[in-house]
Amino acid sequence: MIGGPDGIRTLETSNIGASPVDNRSNSNAILGGLCVLAAALVAFVWVPLDVDSGVVEQVRRRVQIGDSLAPVTAAVFIAIGGLVLLLVERRVPDQPAFTLQNLRFIALSAAIIVVGFLIMRFTGPLTVDVVNLLTGGELQYRLLRDSAPWKFIGYFIGGIFVVAGLMAQAEGGTTRKNLGIATAVVIALILIFDVPFDDLLLPPNGDV
Amino acid sequence: MGVGDYILQGILAFFLGSELFSILGIPVSINIVMVLAGFLLGIMVGATPGLAGPVAMAISLPLLLSSFGYHASALLPVLGFLIGIMKGATVGGAVPAILFNTPGTPDAYMTTLDGFPMAQNGQAKKALRIAHFSSASGDTFSDLVLFVCAPFLAIIIEAHLDLPEKTALLILSLSFIAAVIGGSPAKGLISTGLGLLAVFIGTGEDFYPRLSLGTDQLARGFPITTAVLGVLILGAVFEGIDNLVREKRETGSFSAVPESGDQVLHWADIRRLMPYISRSALIGTAIGALPGIGSTLAATLGYTVGKSRHQKRKSTDDPDFGTGAPQGIAATEAANSSVSGANLIPVLSLGIPGNAAAVFLILAAESIGGFVPGPAVFKFTTDTVNPELVIAFGLFTAMAFANVLNWTIGGLFMRSMGVMIRIPKQLLLPSVLLLTLTAIYIQETRLEAIWFALGFGVLGYAMRKLEISPLPFVIAFILGDKLELSARRAFSASGNDPFFLFSTPIATILMLLAIGVLVYTARKRRLEASA
Repeated sequence: MIGGPDGIRTLETSNIGASPVDNRSNSNAILGGLCVLAAALVAFVWVPLDVDSGVVEQVRRRVQIGDSLAPVTAAVFIAIGGLVLLLVERRVPDQPAFTLQNLRFIALSAAIIVVGFLIMRFTGPLTVDVVNLLTGGELQYRLLRDSAPWKFIGYFIGGIFVVAGLMAQAEGGTTRKNLGIATAVVIALILIFDVPFDDLLLPPNGDV
Repeated sequence: MGVGDYILQGILAFFLGSELFSILGIPVSINIVMVLAGFLLGIMVGATPGLAGPVAMAISLPLLLSSFGYHASALLPVLGFLIGIMKGATVGGAVPAILFNTPGTPDAYMTTLDGFPMAQNGQAKKALRIAHFSSASGDTFSDLVLFVCAPFLAIIIEAHLDLPEKTALLILSLSFIAAVIGGSPAKGLISTGLGLLAVFIGTGEDFYPRLSLGTDQLARGFPITTAVLGVLILGAVFEGIDNLVREKRETGSFSAVPESGDQVLHWADIRRLMPYISRSALIGTAIGALPGIGSTLAATLGYTVGKSRHQKRKSTDDPDFGTGAPQGIAATEAANSSVSGANLIPVLSLGIPGNAAAVFLILAAESIGGFVPGPAVFKFTTDTVNPELVIAFGLFTAMAFANVLNWTIGGLFMRSMGVMIRIPKQLLLPSVLLLTLTAIYIQETRLEAIWFALGFGVLGYAMRKLEISPLPFVIAFILGDKLELSARRAFSASGNDPFFLFSTPIATILMLLAIGVLVYTARKRRLEASA
C-alpha cells in the first residue's frame, strides 16, 4: 500500500486480488493433466454414450458429418491445450493456482445467489397460501403472477437477500445502510424492467 | 433511377419520415428522434456492466415492433433505434471497462487491459476521452468505407470465399484468438475447447439433442446470454468482490483512487495516438467486412498490432501495453468501433451477421418485412425503383447521423458516466450481479437460465484465477455453431472429401496459418520459459 497525494490510501493493484504465484508451482502440470483426463472422458465416454450419430455417418449411401465430430473436436482442443501445458509450459514461471480460499469464496457467493433465487421462487406462492389460509380465499399465484403487488413479492425479498448478502460478504458484515441500499436497488430494477413494460416477467414469474 | 437518385431518396426517406413534432416550423422526423434515443440508451447500457448493447436490443425489439407495427414504414425508425443502441453501446462499453475493469460489452474486454490501470493511476477521465476519440474515429472511418465499398466488397468476398475457405477462416480465427490472448496458447486452447463444448451441448442434427444427459434442461442448449454474460460479466463481478474481500481482510479498509495529473486530451496526445487509431480502424473495417467474424477479434488484432508497434517505438518512460498505455485503449477502441459500420456489409448484402448486435438487426428486418438482407439489396435497377436499396441508403444516413451525434454529444454524455467511479464497488458489484441475472431471466423467462449463468459465472471466476482468458471461450461459443454448419456444408459440397479444408489454395493457406500461429506462440512461450 502507498499513500495517495491527498492522504487517501491508494491501492497497488498488482498485489491484492492476484492469485498466489509460485515459480516452483506445479499447477500448470496439474491443470494440464486434468484437462487431458477430462478431454479423454468427453471423447471416449460422454460422446459415445450421449450422442446418437458417430463422427461420420452413412445415410442413404451418402456419407455425412455426424453429431459426434463437433464435440470430439472440442475435446481435441482441450486435450492439445492440456498436453501443451504438461509438455511445454510445465516449468514456466508465474503459475497461478486455484486455492482453497478461492473455493470457499465462490462457494459462499454461489450459495447466497442460489438461496436468494429460491426465496424469489417460493415467497410469492407461499404468501398467497398464507393469505388463503387467513381469509379462506382461493387465490392462485399463477393467476396473480402478472398483478401487483403479488408479482413483486418474490423478486423484492429474494433480490434484497442476494444484493445485501453479497454486500455483507464483501464488507464482512451487514449494516442497516446496506439493507436500505439493497432495497433501493431492487425497487430501481423493478422500475426499469417491469413498470414500463406489460409483456416482461420478472423472476420467478415465468416459472410459476 | 441512377446511383445518385438512390442515395438522395435514402437521405430523404430518413430525414423526411413521419413527422413527430416541428421546431420553428421545421418538421422533425421520427427517425431522427429514434436514432438519438437509441444512441443515448446505447451509451447508458454500454456503460452499465451487465446491460450490453445486444441485451438492450433484445429487450427493445418486441417493444419497438408492438409500437411501430409490421409494415415497411417501421423499418427506418426500428432499425435506426437499434443502430443507435449498437453505436452508443460500443462507445459506452469502454466506461465500465476503464472504471471497473469490467467490460460493458465483450469487445471492450481489451480496453480493460490499459484503461483500468490508467484509472487506477488517477487518469480515468483522460482514458475515457481517449476511448471516445478513438471509438468515434474508428466508427466514422468504418462507416465511410461501408458507404463507398459495400456493394463491391460484398460481391468480391462472396466470390472468393467458398464453403471450405469460410470454414478455414473460422478455424483460423479461433486458433489465432487461442494463441494470442492471455500469453499462454495452451490455456487459450483450453478456453476455446470449453467454449466449443458448451455450445455443442443440446444441439446437432440428430433427433436426440447431443450431450444432453437425457434432460429437458440441457436438451435446449445453453442460451447465448447465459454463457456470454455468465463467463464475462458474472465471472468479473465475482472476481471483483473477491478482491474487495481480500482488500478488506488485508487493509481493514477499501481504497479510493483520487484523480491525478492532466485529464485533457491534447493535440499532442492525438498526434501520438493517430498511428494506432488508423491501423486499428483499418483492421476493424477489414475484419468487420468478413462475414461471421466480429468486433472482439478486431479488438484483439488491433491491440496486438498496436502492442507490437509500441514495443518497438516507445521510450523507456512510457508504460507498456497492459500497464496503462493510452495507445492500448486507442488501438482497442478504434478497432472494435470500426467493426460496426463494416459489419453491415455482410449483413445487408449476404444476410450474415458478424456480431450479436447484427443478429438483432437481421431479426428486426425479417420481422417487419419489406427488407430482406441479401444480394437483392444492392441491385441498382434503373427502370424500376428498388425499395430495398432506398432503405439501405436510409440506414446509411441513420448511421451517419448517429456519428454526428457521437462527435457532438457522445463524448460529453459518455464522460458523464464517469460519475460511476464514485459509487463504492462493494455496493455496486452486487447490484450489477442482480441486474445481470434479471436481464438474463427476462430474456429466457426460466430459472434454469439463472442456474446456467451462475455456473458460467463460477467458471469465469475460476478461469480468471487460473489466468485462463475467458475471451476465447466466448468467441468459440459464438462461432461454434457456424463452424459446424460450415464444415458440414463444405464436406458435403466437396463430395465427402475428408481433406476439404485443404482443397483450395486459399483454404490451405488459412489452415496452415491456423496451425502455424499456434506452433509459433507455443515455441515462443517455451523459449521464454527456458530463458
